[in-house]
Amino acid sequence: MNALVSLTVANIRSFVRDRAALFWTLAFPLIFIFLFGAIFSGGNNDRTIGFGDEDRTAASQQLRAAFAGLPNVKLVDGTETELTAQMRDGQLAAVIVVPQGYAEQVLSGSRPAGVRIFTDPSEPASDAATRQLAGFVLSQVNQDASGRPPAVAPEFRSVQTNDLSFISYLVPSILGMSLMQLGVFAAVPLVADREKLIFKRLHATPLRRWQLVGSNVLMRLLIAVVQTAIIVLVGSAVFGVQVSGNWLLIGALVLLGSLTFIALGYVIGSFAPTEEAANGMTSVVQFPLMFLSGTFFPIDAMPDALRAVARAMPLTYLGDALRQVMVEGTPFSPLWVCFAVLAGWLVVCFGIAFRFFRWQ
Amino acid sequence: MAGTTQSETNPVVRVRDLRKNYGQLAAVDGVSFEVGSGEVFGLLGPNGAGKTTTVEILEGLRDADSGEVTVLGIDAVKRADDLRARVGVSLQTAALYPKLTVVEVLRLFRGFYSAGRSVDELVALMDLDEKRSTRTQDLSGGQRQRLSVALALVNDPELVFLDEPTTGMDPAARRALWDVVLGLKREARSVLLTTHYMEEAEVLCDRIAVMDHGRILEAGTVDELVSRRFHERAVRFDVLDGLGDEQMASFPGVSSLKREDGSVSLFSRDVPATIGAVLAAAETLGREPENLAVRRATLEDVFLDLTGRALRD
Repeated sequence: MNALVSLTVANIRSFVRDRAALFWTLAFPLIFIFLFGAIFSGGNNDRTIGFGDEDRTAASQQLRAAFAGLPNVKLVDGTETELTAQMRDGQLAAVIVVPQGYAEQVLSGSRPAGVRIFTDPSEPASDAATRQLAGFVLSQVNQDASGRPPAVAPEFRSVQTNDLSFISYLVPSILGMSLMQLGVFAAVPLVADREKLIFKRLHATPLRRWQLVGSNVLMRLLIAVVQTAIIVLVGSAVFGVQVSGNWLLIGALVLLGSLTFIALGYVIGSFAPTEEAANGMTSVVQFPLMFLSGTFFPIDAMPDALRAVARAMPLTYLGDALRQVMVEGTPFSPLWVCFAVLAGWLVVCFGIAFRFFRWQ
Repeated sequence: MAGTTQSETNPVVRVRDLRKNYGQLAAVDGVSFEVGSGEVFGLLGPNGAGKTTTVEILEGLRDADSGEVTVLGIDAVKRADDLRARVGVSLQTAALYPKLTVVEVLRLFRGFYSAGRSVDELVALMDLDEKRSTRTQDLSGGQRQRLSVALALVNDPELVFLDEPTTGMDPAARRALWDVVLGLKREARSVLLTTHYMEEAEVLCDRIAVMDHGRILEAGTVDELVSRRFHERAVRFDVLDGLGDEQMASFPGVSSLKREDGSVSLFSRDVPATIGAVLAAAETLGREPENLAVRRATLEDVFLDLTGRALRD
């Protein structure tokens, strides 16, 4: 235990004295947040919704006005085909189509008039928001049609949680990206220490391999906690991104995500013969992870082929889970898929590293 | 195979017919030797002789292909973990965390052992006081080597392995390290060192094994090695123009001769007769031999003789 602690302290010292490592793990994510935050903050948070009016009556136009009158909603007109195509391209959050005959049905009251609403269940936040918006508007229309005064009048107060502005999308994403980099970059000192024969020298002491691996992992997990704290603090203090999720769940995600990417770092360390090679391979691995995992924009905005790639990336799931937990306060139950995928990657990477990693 | 068994009844190291191949290359090709308790034993040989491979097998860092390796009564191949707390190791290349300071590295390694020497004591012993707070990446080669030896002593080991401990050191640092090794000897610790410096082997080692091409060519004390091979002494003087090799080889007592750096060495069983012949021959040339001296053969003569033969094989 003593040996594990002294080696962990030594690893932290080495890490903190390595300016490049410090920059990439602590400064780089903050630069991203400030840069993108500055570019995109002040941009509108409007939800763009497609509105297809097939009825073209006063009643349908009244419905359109009711939607258009909602705060933060921007309507785009078009046909159902056009609009659903635009939604698939990620330009629209939802599509509302008023079918022909709507006005007649509303007036006759014989059976409820059908309004088709297209939402994206893979974006639970957006999906829920659309359902709520539509439900609210339609219940008002229903109530107006009944000709009676409302029994209950809604009084709206703003709650930030479900407001996925770009910056509140970005902060958890950047946290996921940083944890990925911290883990994957484990490969470089690992290969450097092997090249410098440090592992060989340590092998001549009573120190056990598990203590050596344990101290390396422990060091990275501690830094992951520091990273998380810094990113969350800057996100909330500078950009007002409040964390609404369960801290235990966030902690579990940070832990699992870090372990998964550290294991990936060990996989790189298993196949990189030199420190330079490890550096190169780390870059080759981290850039696709960074850009194909929905870090900067939702993967739904990607072409189908890339989206398939993104669905295989572990960072997609870490980022998604972090966004949902931190910003939307999603509980564990819908997130088990993310946990399962990350755990799967962890097991596979661990297996590969265990089989192929060489200490000398 | 000249595995001398001069050591105590319980040797700290016993190696029997050790073999290790790397592909076609027999890095260690049937090596046997023993190191007695409290003895400083040297493996002497050129680079690539198989010294480091041998020592690393004893340290439990490499597997052997075959042979028996017992260190402190423990099988060093099968039960290396039981050995690690009791031996000290300095690798040929000092392996150090570059960003940690001298004291931090010493504390780190001290933390791996339940008992040992204090960090301050080791800093003083290895004369690293001025460098206490220097990161190891900023140390000179000799300072790194000194730290590496200090790390080998951190657990107060019964047996110390020093692989080329003075490589990269200036003469003063080398002598300081020799004092440390002689101090270990006074404390009745056992030391197994490798070196390719003859002088180092002569000064430090109770016994020496000369190694080349994975084999031990000869083993024993320096005196034994020299007298076994060279019964004669060398009569040395500066080269005299006009005095040919054939003429000198025919002088009484001379068995062989060697020219180097402008001087001639005549190896002779009858030194007075040889000197007489040299003086007489010089007089006929109207000259006097300059820097005339008599010396006995050294380890260097033995080494050249041994490896020279090995190379011709």
